[in-house]
Amino acid sequence: MMKEMTFDRLITNDESKELSLKRRRKQFIRHLPGDILKLIVVILFVFPFYWMISTGFKTYVEAIQTPPTLWPHTFTLSNFQKISEMNIDLIMYSKNSVLITVTTIALQMVIMVPASYAFAKRDFPLKGVLFGVVLLAFMIPSQLTYISIYLMMSKAKLLQTLWPQIFPFGANAFGIFMLRQSFKQIPEELVESAHLDSASELQIMTRIMLPMSKSAMITIAMFSFISIWNNYFWPLVMTTSESVRPLTMAIQKLRDSGDAALQWNVLMAGNVILVVPVLLVYVFASKKILNAFAYNGLK
Amino acid sequence: MGEIVFNKVEKSFGTNKVIENLDLTIQDGKFTVLVGASGCGKTTLLRMIAGIGPATAGQVLLDGKDITDVAPGKRDVAMVFQNYAIYPTMTVRENIEFGLKNKKVPKQIRESRVVAVAQSVGLTEYLDRKPNTLSGGQRQRIALARAMVKQPRVFLMDEPLSNLDAKLRIQMRVELIRLHEQLKTTFVYVTHDQVEAMSMADDIVIMDKGKILQQGSPEQIYHDPNNAYIAQFIGSPAMNVLPMEGGYQYGFRPERVMLSHEKPKGTLLCRRGTVRVREMLGSETLYQIAFQDGTMVAVKMLQDTFQMNEDVILSVSKEHLFFFGQDGNRIRRDETTALYCRLLRTVGGTSDV
Amino acid sequence: MSKIPSAAKHYDKKNWKDYAMSYVMILPAMIFFGLFCLYPLGNLFYLSFFRGNVRNPFKSFQGLQNYIDLFTMRPDFVPALYHTAYYTVVVLVLLIVLSVLCAVWLKKGRKIDHFAQSVIFPPHLVASISCAFVWSWMFSSESYGLFNTILNALGIKTVRWLQQTSTAMNCVIVMNVWKNIGYYSLIIMSALRSIPTEIYEAADLDSASPVKQFFKITLPLISPQLFFLLITITTGSFMVFDSIRVMTAGGPGDATQVICTWIYEYAFQNNNSLGLAAAGGIVLLVILVIITLLDFRGIEKKVHYQ
Repeated sequence: MMKEMTFDRLITNDESKELSLKRRRKQFIRHLPGDILKLIVVILFVFPFYWMISTGFKTYVEAIQTPPTLWPHTFTLSNFQKISEMNIDLIMYSKNSVLITVTTIALQMVIMVPASYAFAKRDFPLKGVLFGVVLLAFMIPSQLTYISIYLMMSKAKLLQTLWPQIFPFGANAFGIFMLRQSFKQIPEELVESAHLDSASELQIMTRIMLPMSKSAMITIAMFSFISIWNNYFWPLVMTTSESVRPLTMAIQKLRDSGDAALQWNVLMAGNVILVVPVLLVYVFASKKILNAFAYNGLK
Repeated sequence: MGEIVFNKVEKSFGTNKVIENLDLTIQDGKFTVLVGASGCGKTTLLRMIAGIGPATAGQVLLDGKDITDVAPGKRDVAMVFQNYAIYPTMTVRENIEFGLKNKKVPKQIRESRVVAVAQSVGLTEYLDRKPNTLSGGQRQRIALARAMVKQPRVFLMDEPLSNLDAKLRIQMRVELIRLHEQLKTTFVYVTHDQVEAMSMADDIVIMDKGKILQQGSPEQIYHDPNNAYIAQFIGSPAMNVLPMEGGYQYGFRPERVMLSHEKPKGTLLCRRGTVRVREMLGSETLYQIAFQDGTMVAVKMLQDTFQMNEDVILSVSKEHLFFFGQDGNRIRRDETTALYCRLLRTVGGTSDV
Repeated sequence: MSKIPSAAKHYDKKNWKDYAMSYVMILPAMIFFGLFCLYPLGNLFYLSFFRGNVRNPFKSFQGLQNYIDLFTMRPDFVPALYHTAYYTVVVLVLLIVLSVLCAVWLKKGRKIDHFAQSVIFPPHLVASISCAFVWSWMFSSESYGLFNTILNALGIKTVRWLQQTSTAMNCVIVMNVWKNIGYYSLIIMSALRSIPTEIYEAADLDSASPVKQFFKITLPLISPQLFFLLITITTGSFMVFDSIRVMTAGGPGDATQVICTWIYEYAFQNNNSLGLAAAGGIVLLVILVIITLLDFRGIEKKVHYQ
């Protein structure tokens, strides 16, 4: 089958340069509508944070002015002062938040590492059943256990302490699951050669397993951090006195103890304290944080 | 039919120009191999033909038609990828007929073509299997079948054998040569392996840093390389290239050397050396010979007559010597005789004349 | 140690020291799971047969009366279930569709794509109550509320977003989709990035249209991640609490009452209704188990694992 053949002319050097410019321009125009839409999406996601922060630095009058001002005309720190005047000791709440978060994550690590190691690299009777318990714990949400735990803690007279906010999260099922997965990928030969070098199990865990599972550990720690630092439900049901409550409760209180009209500017100032530290860390380490959250056991 | 012409093509990734102002003609019906070290731009050229990495400037013509901006699916070319790029969720049959389906080829024709192609690559009994149940060699055949079934004007292959083990690779090499013999369409094959290039090509294009160094048949490239780089790139073990006075270089192939205990007769380049390494490969023996000044050269002999640490005399006749200028380019003209005499004077040799 | 198939596993008594070591390693975790997961769940089940309150949980045995009451005497439980289901379905569909679209849209990895992706993620890091508060502020029913200002500027009358039945739940949904889309699109994105680009190039050469490539190649290849999304979003949505409590507190009326806010109210605020709350919790558990099983049975077959 012979087709009628047409021959295209070979272009010259100058024509080639012009053509390449034309192509680049075409590509730019093709990308333009999508890029504009992307910018709109970006604004949609940044704006609520911006709105929170800018309201937090506005006076009450300016906050409820119509139309709203995009940028605080009178930049004021008085909202934070108002919070302390309302007898809300932000330092105490922050201290509780930090204490609870740090202690819980530390406890999780101490419990998680040996358990994950045993499940990943050791053999023992009933291993499957016991791992099933981990999976079960992973599936059961705290909304189903809090009633019983509350009763337990109140019987143990621990409700006036920080422990009810720490102990129930001491064993992190999700973490054990992920860390086991990561340990499993470490070649058996490494463990065996360590045994030949007469290393103890503790040494194998801390010198071989952990350094090789850094990314899994970072991911687990980050998931733990955001779930504990941001926890609202648990302290809501598990605390009876202000002295053990974390920051999220302080913000709750800001709204509940507000005057007749809700002082949005004060409330937003409180949220700034809870949110901005997290956002600041994210601004400086967004790439690492995104990588950590994108890492999951799924392969 | 399937003649490809590159006219002043350029490819840049961001500000990085990989290829600049390149002209090349790939002849219709030939098995052309683009060969070079990784990053030399050979795959970039292939992707330009396929349309999956269009040129940023210049033209690509297929049979005289400008296809620079034509969509990949409308070019009448087929490609075999290095990692095969098999659709993992489709069966072997679906993989092979996917392109035909998209081109709305009627079902009957489609089926008969799939069956015929599967037969010719030996996949008939696997047609309804998922690719992940097959071996590397079989996946390779799926990729090949997928290209063949389209009956394209041009076959493009990007290092298709590099993921196979050595034995299978040699077997597939033979099969590809026969396939080309049978189809007589244009094959453009990219590899970094000079042995593959030499064994399969009608026409070799040697590239380095986005430039074409030489184009020619395997014989031409082997016997008449343009420069020291090509001379050392083609042939195994590589050509020995040694410096001589005046910034010139001279070279000779390991398989064109004579080893002996006594100085041979005739006009020859001769140097004394010692056997430092000996590799007995059965059909041939490879030696590393150290000269007195410490330089080592490779020698390939059919006979296995020399032992380790034995003193030998290495001799090369004039027609097997290559000379290169200061820029590494080959010196082909009358100068060679003068250079040869100079070499004999400084290095040593025998002359019966 | 040689490897023996697990079915015929034989545990040698001589190795008891080794086994004991393993048990010591997992013991702390098991104690914690027992105390704070298994026991509470069992206790919840036990509680559901009693009438009582947090001071005196086991006042009187009720048998199955609490369960019967849930569906007959309490007019607010079934609506709470319905609201939860509505919330879950809408959030699930929106999140899966939008996060896949978003990931495909930003897949190219140009500078603006990376930027956009890093900007839609941070809501996931931030407390849901903070997000809920900001959105409540933007949804404010007063004329100075942000959205109402925009509506007014367009000549539309003020909407009482969170105070009217028709919009309240949808506002909560919008907030939660906004908060979570960054994380889920990140998961999808990393799945997309792991697909070799050559497959798409091959498809281009096979003249497959972008739509066909999406349905024939992309979707099947990200099915494990879609399955993960399906499970986590459904189970997570059934547990929604924080945002509802902050934005609407279950109101107006009972329009946004969901199971978890319902259980919370009955456990701590109503008199002697702890058993009812426990029964509600058990119902929730049963629903969760059924959904998870359905998901696994119905879809497992269609998920493509490499």
